Amino acid sequence: MDGWMLHWVQVSTSVMAAAASPSSGLLLFLLTSSPAWFPSPGSAFVTDWHHMTPSAPVEPHFTNCISRDQVTFSCWWTPGSFGNPSDPGALRVFYQKRVIDSPTKDEWKECPHYFHSRRECFFDRNHTTIWTTYCLQLRSRDNITYFNTDDCFTVENIVRPDPPVSLNWTCLNVSPSGQSYDVVVTWEPPPSADVAVGWMHIVYEVQYREMNSTNWEALEVQLQPQTQQTIYGLHVGKVYEVHIRCRMKAFTKFGDFSESVFIEVSKIPSKDSFSLLTLVIVLGVVAAVILIMWIVVSQQHRLMVILLPPVPAPKIKGVDSELLKKGKLNELNFILSGGGLLGSPMYSPEFYQDEPWVDFIEVDVKDPDTGEKQDDQASDTERLLGGSPHVRQRAGCSNALSDRLNIDDGALTSTLLPGQPDNKEACLCVDSERGERPPAPSGPQTWVNTDFYAQVSNVMPFGGVVLSPGQHLRTQESGPASNQSSKNEKKDGEEEEEKKQKELQFQLLVLEPDSESSTRQIIPPPYCSLPGESCRSIEPRPAEAYQSPYVSPDSPQAQLFAPVADYTVVQELDSQRSVLLDPPNLQSAQSCRLEQHPLKALPAMPVGYVTPDLQGALSP
Amino acid sequence: MPGKLTSVWLLLAGLTSGGGPATVTAALICANGQAGCRVLSLAKLFDRVIQHSARMHSISDDLHSEFEQYFVPSRNHIGRVSRNCHTANLLTPDSKENAERIAREELTEVILKLLVAWRDPLWHFHQIAANFSSDKALEMSDMVRELRKGVEKVAHKMQTLGMISNSVSSPSSREDLPPSERGEWRLMKDHELLYCFRRDSDKIQNYLKILKCRIVPEHGC
Repeated sequence: MDGWMLHWVQVSTSVMAAAASPSSGLLLFLLTSSPAWFPSPGSAFVTDWHHMTPSAPVEPHFTNCISRDQVTFSCWWTPGSFGNPSDPGALRVFYQKRVIDSPTKDEWKECPHYFHSRRECFFDRNHTTIWTTYCLQLRSRDNITYFNTDDCFTVENIVRPDPPVSLNWTCLNVSPSGQSYDVVVTWEPPPSADVAVGWMHIVYEVQYREMNSTNWEALEVQLQPQTQQTIYGLHVGKVYEVHIRCRMKAFTKFGDFSESVFIEVSKIPSKDSFSLLTLVIVLGVVAAVILIMWIVVSQQHRLMVILLPPVPAPKIKGVDSELLKKGKLNELNFILSGGGLLGSPMYSPEFYQDEPWVDFIEVDVKDPDTGEKQDDQASDTERLLGGSPHVRQRAGCSNALSDRLNIDDGALTSTLLPGQPDNKEACLCVDSERGERPPAPSGPQTWVNTDFYAQVSNVMPFGGVVLSPGQHLRTQESGPASNQSSKNEKKDGEEEEEKKQKELQFQLLVLEPDSESSTRQIIPPPYCSLPGESCRSIEPRPAEAYQSPYVSPDSPQAQLFAPVADYTVVQELDSQRSVLLDPPNLQSAQSCRLEQHPLKALPAMPVGYVTPDLQGALSP
Repeated sequence: MPGKLTSVWLLLAGLTSGGGPATVTAALICANGQAGCRVLSLAKLFDRVIQHSARMHSISDDLHSEFEQYFVPSRNHIGRVSRNCHTANLLTPDSKENAERIAREELTEVILKLLVAWRDPLWHFHQIAANFSSDKALEMSDMVRELRKGVEKVAHKMQTLGMISNSVSSPSSREDLPPSERGEWRLMKDHELLYCFRRDSDKIQNYLKILKCRIVPEHGC
């Protein structure tokens, strides 16, 4: 009995088609009809009969009356236990449009259209009126009437719409975890329901469940446009079954369910691709970092030069920079003096080979072996201190002294102070010719034996420089010169005093290294202040070792250095127009005078800086 | 919902206060020239009226269902009506075809007659149902009144637009009703009254829909 409704739906569709084209539709209907169908359990007609015991006699009655479109309707009956089921014409259906309290309208009419195979009475639109009460009754051939007033109805109350059609679903979105998703279910109203005109106002109900469960989840479609519904929270990987039914608004009877649609969303691959993309990006970044580090490591030195340019530091070619540090000046001097063969590039040790950017300070120290060949390579310092030996030779005194000294005179003459035509005689060349000439190699040595840094206290007229050494004296021995000085000291017999005074401030006279001549001593007459050692005449004694009261840069003779203050006050000018100084710290303020001498013109030319106005006073 | 309808009717009142031809004058609400005030089209008016009638029908259905629970449940809401509804004498189209066939003016008049006929019974019902869903009864009573005004405005607009003739006139007083219907509703019991009103509100709703489909053609009509 319950299957009647299900099949009746299909039948009604074909019936409608049959109404349009009777012959083919009717044929189709007859072919598709099947006896096994039952009315829906929701039918109000059926509820009473479910509780009847099969043993009790059941009279013929109507099982169901349904309208699908509120235009037509149909009723089904059953003969019950009475009558002969095989006789289709045994029972007849009569209906009445009941108007209460109106006797004129109580006539019973027979069913307009029978479907005996289905025991259905169909009322077409010409026989259907809405909002009027219909009452149906069954009459047998014996004129027995089976009628129940509860079987009366109005059409609008028996409307059960057809199920919606075109049920479909689309995935709305996926949760970030990828485990659940939302789905939008769409459908269309049943074609039999005239929703467009508004003759039927339909509301829907969507039901869904998992495949293996028995409970349906119901969703009443509330929102406009009422032909779609969103289902939230479906799980990935599970199969869901969805179907839909509808009813008239403000009425309670639902139509049949539509056919089920199955929803399934498998594992979402977008997450995998997303993670794969991130993996590729991470690997690419790591590879780039490794490549950069490799480049940095391999080109480390070049990058170091570019990024951190080296700070220039004093670096002398062939000299280890360690020697330039504090306290190692002895070794440095040794090297620079030629002990390390500094001048020869082939012998100089190669330092800083791996630093191509190193710019060396070239130190021109003359190679003693090739001194003659390197006459033109006199260092600047040497020139400053009195010129090269060669130059000095050329600039030798032009007087008799020079003859003896075999000194050329030329350049020296030119370097004399102007206004001193007799300066040839005022040559300050000192014949340092002694018995023993210091070896030529000692020249540079003697020069080098000074302190590395010495204060220039005076500038000679011929270009020589008067240095004043530092605090410490060099006590370097240098052969015969020292012997000579020691002899001289003994001669003076004032060795102690000299030593004492040498420790004081003294005036250092720089001698040019003279390969041929012995160390020359330049005698500044005004500066002779040594108490014990009076200023000797400059008159050269050819054979004698000339003791100059003035200090020579030669180390042994350093002992004889007259301690002269760097700056002394000029006391007065004597008759000979010599400047009398007043040394502050000396025991005797004996001014040194130049003895009368053919070179007396010499004191007339004071050594040292003379201002031009004094010059005029001093010149004879 | 009632508040919205009130504004609608005020707008309609303003629209028709000019009392002239099709030219629409500024409504009472929009007298100040406020921005956003716009004249509702006939389709919109119909939509609002239909919405209102649908709401009224659903309320009547709820009330009827509540009454039904006090009785033995019947299958198709049939059986306990001993007399016809007091509006049974009104000639109303009883099918979709008939509703589409009759003249628009007649359809409009039928709607208005129905609404007029239920004004008093519902107000009376609200008075006696003080302890039983009085809020729904009150709402139903108000809705009937406002729906009648709305349909009158729609009818007037249709007449101004020339869609229907000027023969439509709503019965204004009780004297227009047939004598048999003047007081018959008092004889009805409450549940019968609710049953009848439920049916009539369904009629009103469907008539309005068909009328709109005929007046303002849309796709599918």
